[in-house]
Amino acid sequence: MSNKEKESIQLLQGTLDLIVLRTLATMGPQHAYQIATRLQQISDKLLNLNQGTLYPALVRLEQYGWIKGTWGRTESNREAKYYEITKAGQKALGVETKTWKRMAALVERLLLEES
Amino acid sequence: MKHLRRVLLKFCMLFVNSKVEAELAREIAAHVAFLEEEYLRQGLTPEEARRASRLAYGGVEQAKQLHRDERAFQGLGQILQDTRYTFRQLRRSPGFTGTVILMLALGIGATTAIFSIVEGVLLRPLPFRDPDGLVSLGDVLEGSHCASCADSSVTPPDIRNYMRGTQSFSHLGGYRGRLFELSGAGDPAAVNGTRMSGEVFAALGVPPLLGRTFTQQEDEENQQVVVLSYGMWRSRFHGDRNVLGSKILLYRKPYTVIGVMPRDFEFPLNPGHVNQSEFWLPLSLQPEEFAAGAAASWNSRMVGRLKPGISLEQAQSDAERVAQETMRDYPAFMRSLSIHAVVTPLHEDIVEQARPLVRTLFFAVIVVLLIVCANLAGLLLVRAIRRRREIAVRLALGARAGTLLREAIVESMLLSIAGGAIGFAMAAVALRVGVSLLPQTLPRIREIGLDLPVMLFALGLALLTGFLCGLAPAFAAIRTNVNEALKEGGRTGTLGSGHARLRSALVVAEIAVALTLLTASGLLLRSFEKMRQVKLGFRPENALAALYVLPHQQYRTQSAIDEFTKTLRNSVGQLPGVEAVGITSFLPASGNSWNIAFTIEGYVAPKGAGMNMAAMSLVEGDLFEALDVRVLRGRVFSESDNAGSQLVAVVNRKMAERYWPGQDPVGKRLRRGMPETSTPWMTIVGEVDDVKLGSRDADTTPQVYQPVTQTVASEAVFASVGELSGADGWIVLRSRMAPSQMEDTLRATLRNIDPQLPLYQMQTMEQAISKSEAPRRFNTALIALFASAAVVLSVLGIYSVIAFSVALREQEMAVRMALGFQRSGVILLILSSGAKLAAVGCGLGLLGAMAASHLLRSFLFEVSPFDPAVLALSASAMLLLAVAASTLPARRASSADPMMALRAE
Repeated sequence: MSNKEKESIQLLQGTLDLIVLRTLATMGPQHAYQIATRLQQISDKLLNLNQGTLYPALVRLEQYGWIKGTWGRTESNREAKYYEITKAGQKALGVETKTWKRMAALVERLLLEES
Repeated sequence: MKHLRRVLLKFCMLFVNSKVEAELAREIAAHVAFLEEEYLRQGLTPEEARRASRLAYGGVEQAKQLHRDERAFQGLGQILQDTRYTFRQLRRSPGFTGTVILMLALGIGATTAIFSIVEGVLLRPLPFRDPDGLVSLGDVLEGSHCASCADSSVTPPDIRNYMRGTQSFSHLGGYRGRLFELSGAGDPAAVNGTRMSGEVFAALGVPPLLGRTFTQQEDEENQQVVVLSYGMWRSRFHGDRNVLGSKILLYRKPYTVIGVMPRDFEFPLNPGHVNQSEFWLPLSLQPEEFAAGAAASWNSRMVGRLKPGISLEQAQSDAERVAQETMRDYPAFMRSLSIHAVVTPLHEDIVEQARPLVRTLFFAVIVVLLIVCANLAGLLLVRAIRRRREIAVRLALGARAGTLLREAIVESMLLSIAGGAIGFAMAAVALRVGVSLLPQTLPRIREIGLDLPVMLFALGLALLTGFLCGLAPAFAAIRTNVNEALKEGGRTGTLGSGHARLRSALVVAEIAVALTLLTASGLLLRSFEKMRQVKLGFRPENALAALYVLPHQQYRTQSAIDEFTKTLRNSVGQLPGVEAVGITSFLPASGNSWNIAFTIEGYVAPKGAGMNMAAMSLVEGDLFEALDVRVLRGRVFSESDNAGSQLVAVVNRKMAERYWPGQDPVGKRLRRGMPETSTPWMTIVGEVDDVKLGSRDADTTPQVYQPVTQTVASEAVFASVGELSGADGWIVLRSRMAPSQMEDTLRATLRNIDPQLPLYQMQTMEQAISKSEAPRRFNTALIALFASAAVVLSVLGIYSVIAFSVALREQEMAVRMALGFQRSGVILLILSSGAKLAAVGCGLGLLGAMAASHLLRSFLFEVSPFDPAVLALSASAMLLLAVAASTLPARRASSADPMMALRAE
């Protein structure tokens, strides 16, 4: 693996996967462009990343069996690959969310104590 | 779970790469199109929109690479890709590929075959339960110099004493193999069987296939039971499961079959195929075995299992204590004997003798493999140099050094694995044919085969060979100087001297190791020749021999035995064409002898000389005439030397020279046993030539012959009550016609005397000699075979190197010739470069031969490992062959048309 990739994942370790899962869970099947747009919206453009970096997360989640991609057509009749969250994905989202919250709380507590 | 799924998917993705790749491209295109659309909507011009969308998306190629890295194991993928690429490359040069694979197959095949012998004979644990706990126990008899006493053997009373007296063994028992006359199941035949204590089965811990084994109690109660080997059960009882309870006759006494051992059970682990024990029966020591002579016969062996936590040293001192007690109880005639107990791990005991041979074979085969590797590395290097331009272009275009390295190693690994697979098949064939040719000195021959460890060895060997051989061309590729290689343009002039030096080094190494092996084989051939020149002491032509053993059941009295031998001698003597017939207890060249101690009248042994041991043969009839042994002094035995007359003996030259140097031994006296033993004197009546009792290369021992009829009288106190003499013997006849024609007549004659009595090991004396020479012939042939393979391969190596360098220097030669250089000068130039390599190789090879000399020494016979003739001959042969290999390319270079070569620029 190249160093470049490691850096980008380090930056978003776990978060990107979680956000993608969460987006798909709340908004239903989405294609990569939609997910990327959504990402930019919620991050308020603070998170400035190339949209191409989304792809590794998608393939990873798909290989875990948490999301499933199928080719479909948009309203304007353009073809796109739609990703949908699976049952296993729903379950994983629950687990991961909990883990994330615990982790976040822990970090927050630590930071509070230090300051 | 999710990780497992991912690993599998990542692996599978390697094989559907193009499909996934296409889909990814489609998805990215769609994504970029959406972005573009969005920017258009925001009012950008189409041109600006396209630019902005590309920026927002980031590098398409980078995204694809990230995707690839995430979805599949890319390292593996690249190797897969390299493999496909290499396959294509190799298919394009079938000649090179074929040569290399065949060479590797030979090298790896031979090494695998020999390794399977090493593994089966030396390395594999013994086929018993927990074999590390098994030990052999025996006496070392001080002062005895005979070869057969060197094995740690025991006497019948020793077996009893050690079993009773020691505390270090959880099981301990004695055993003794012998030939049995078997009847009651098929034709009467001579079969090897082993008498052993019930404790031996307990010590070995191998459960029977059918029925049960016998116990120590049954042994002591003299139960007539027998346990069959798998082989005997299959051949004589057709694998009948109802065999238990049936009876077989051993020396015409009935024994009940109580068990069958599994197929791979073998005990004792005797060398060779032919001496395997076919059945086991209780040792049941008889009273006469504790009396007199039998008690002083070291003819049995012991095996035991150490108690947990007892060390070898503890067991040794425990046994030594018992040995000391045994010696205290020795009868008067054995007072001067001194024994030590020796406890050895059983494995050690068994493989000891086989070790030098197996080690030498392995050494030889490794040498061949090294040459194969050097050749392969050389050929790959040549290939790498040929592809220098291609590599330079690829480097210039940004190929990474790692990629080139990987490619080179994948290529050579692919070749070596293919070679290894074929080699393994070849080893399987070779072993099927070859095991029967292995010398009879190797133990555990039946266990030799291609099993898992051997397979792993072959695979490992192939991988290692491939890896190491791939390194040379790989580094050559990496070190390619892009500028230089491309600047040279069409010019293929003289190449980087670094590569040339590497290739030369490889060839020098090849020649060196090949010469080492060639020298070894030369020394062995010379030893063989020397051995063939050794005088046998008898004339083997037209002599036929066969063994008979009279069953005690039928021949209970001395007169019955005497009657039989007399009839046999008379009837055989009257057969047409028979010149002489005699009987002896030990057949020359058979490798068996019986060494006993003698007391010589008036002879004072030098200090520390030990006992006066000599090989004793009991003879009857015209044995010396039948074998055609030259009588040097006095006379041989006649009919008048019988039980009632004066005791007489005949000695051989060696005996005479040792004890009566410079004197006539006739009229001198000797007697059996030690000085304190009261045995009667025997008067020497004649001296005969030294007869080889074993193989020709074995030392000649002092020998004493005695009429069999006088045995009991001369033994005196040694003789047990009712001892019979002459119940077995080798009948030897000399005929005017070819001895093989006499075989049927001899059998028919015996059948007329006793229809049930089988004749064992019928052979002409020439066959007997050939058998005794077999181990040396085998070693010599095999090493010679390896040596010739090594020489051929290294000549091939030197040829390819010279041919290649000539091809590269074609223009240089053309220019030289255009400037007036003579053709003969060109030839000389190339020949001398070949000769230079060969000379350096030979120099190193001679050093190698000297270094290997200690390995060989035990196989040589009357030849020094530094024999100058052999060293000079093999070195000059190697040199000549190397120069000869260079002539072909030299002629080609000299016949090149200067104009053509220069125009080709």
